[in-house]
Amino acid sequence: MKIEAYNIRKKYQENLVLNINYISFKEGLITGITGPNGSGKTTLLHILGGLDPNFEGRVLYDGRELNKEILKDLTLVFQKPYLFKRSVFDNIAYPMVLRKENPKTIKEGVKEISEILEINDLLDKKGHQLSGGEGQKVALARAMIFKPKVLLLDEATSSLDPEAVKTIEESIIKYNEKTSATIIVITHDMEQSKRLCNEVVSLELGRVV
Amino acid sequence: MDYISQGFVEAFKLLLQLDPEVYEIIFLSIFVSSSATILAALIFVPLGVYLGIKPFRGKRMFSRLVYTFMSIPSVVVGLLVALILARRGPLGFLGLLYTPKAMIIAQTFLVVPLILGLTYNMAKTRGKQIEVVAKTLGGTRWDSVVLIIRELRSDIFIHIVTGFSRAISEVGAVMIVGGNIKYQTRVITTTISMMNSMGDYPMAIALGTILMIISFVIHSLIYSYSRED
Repeated sequence: MKIEAYNIRKKYQENLVLNINYISFKEGLITGITGPNGSGKTTLLHILGGLDPNFEGRVLYDGRELNKEILKDLTLVFQKPYLFKRSVFDNIAYPMVLRKENPKTIKEGVKEISEILEINDLLDKKGHQLSGGEGQKVALARAMIFKPKVLLLDEATSSLDPEAVKTIEESIIKYNEKTSATIIVITHDMEQSKRLCNEVVSLELGRVV
Repeated sequence: MDYISQGFVEAFKLLLQLDPEVYEIIFLSIFVSSSATILAALIFVPLGVYLGIKPFRGKRMFSRLVYTFMSIPSVVVGLLVALILARRGPLGFLGLLYTPKAMIIAQTFLVVPLILGLTYNMAKTRGKQIEVVAKTLGGTRWDSVVLIIRELRSDIFIHIVTGFSRAISEVGAVMIVGGNIKYQTRVITTTISMMNSMGDYPMAIALGTILMIISFVIHSLIYSYSRED
């Protein structure tokens, strides 16, 4: 899904935190967004993800305004994800349950994605009792299981150990190859953007530089 | 001082001898208060969560109103319900005044602001994060409400129990709409109040002890449930 944003302006009180005339994210590519703290990366991601409707401008998804159908094909993984107080299996299965998939499909889906992210041994643990790295992998598995066409990642690997970062990066690339999803990654790590991204956009003081 | 110790001895005799009047009062109290609490919770827990996460005009004013009604005196609720259910009142034709049904209605009105306010506030402060997760995974607002109830169930359980505690310990509303009629609408609190004014302390102490036991059991349940969760 191609995403295009036109004349995006976002203010917090009187401060203009985002001021972008045009930006686009091509279908099937992994695009990195970099920039210092306060440059508007997360604000932009929230707007693209439909979490912040209070902005000026237009965002089009394959030429269409955001609607319920598009929202079902789009997801966001946060830096500190919230995991349910249930088993890891239930956490990962949740989007499939929302989509009323049958139990067999759900079980197979969870098995497949947990193998990719190397979390099969965690399935019986409680979601809120995992370490940071484990939790991030579970959140990513939960986001990928329903195969969204747009995957937005907000510093999803920050403060993780190199091994966990490697697993997550590989699974993002694998997911992108398999589904041709549009993936947007916020990262502070330029090396990571080189490893992971096809394109990189830099933001500074709310503008594309 | 003798009358106090004698009162306790007599009270335990009444309880151990399974005095039918005492137990009828206890069961009616539990029945009325739990019915009111369940009724209020079934409707107002989901509504409180929904209103807590939904942005709407006048939300601040709504918060103030709900918080004000949380501390509404029980006699005021009793009076309002009695006015509505009285023979000359708008619902007088139902003939509910001085029945357990009227007591359930009054206690429901008493418990609703408490359960609604606590749940609303919880959803407003802690439900947002859960709502965002549900939304980003393709859920509707109703899915968010269900998810928040499941995730914060131990807090909601405490809110419901708080409502029950308010209901079972109040005396004003049930006294006004129930009338404290023997074998019909007499509950623990109205009986204690009446026995005290009559100087019949053993029965009052026995029922007071039961109220304390109920309170202990409820709070033990909350404690163990919170620990498990």
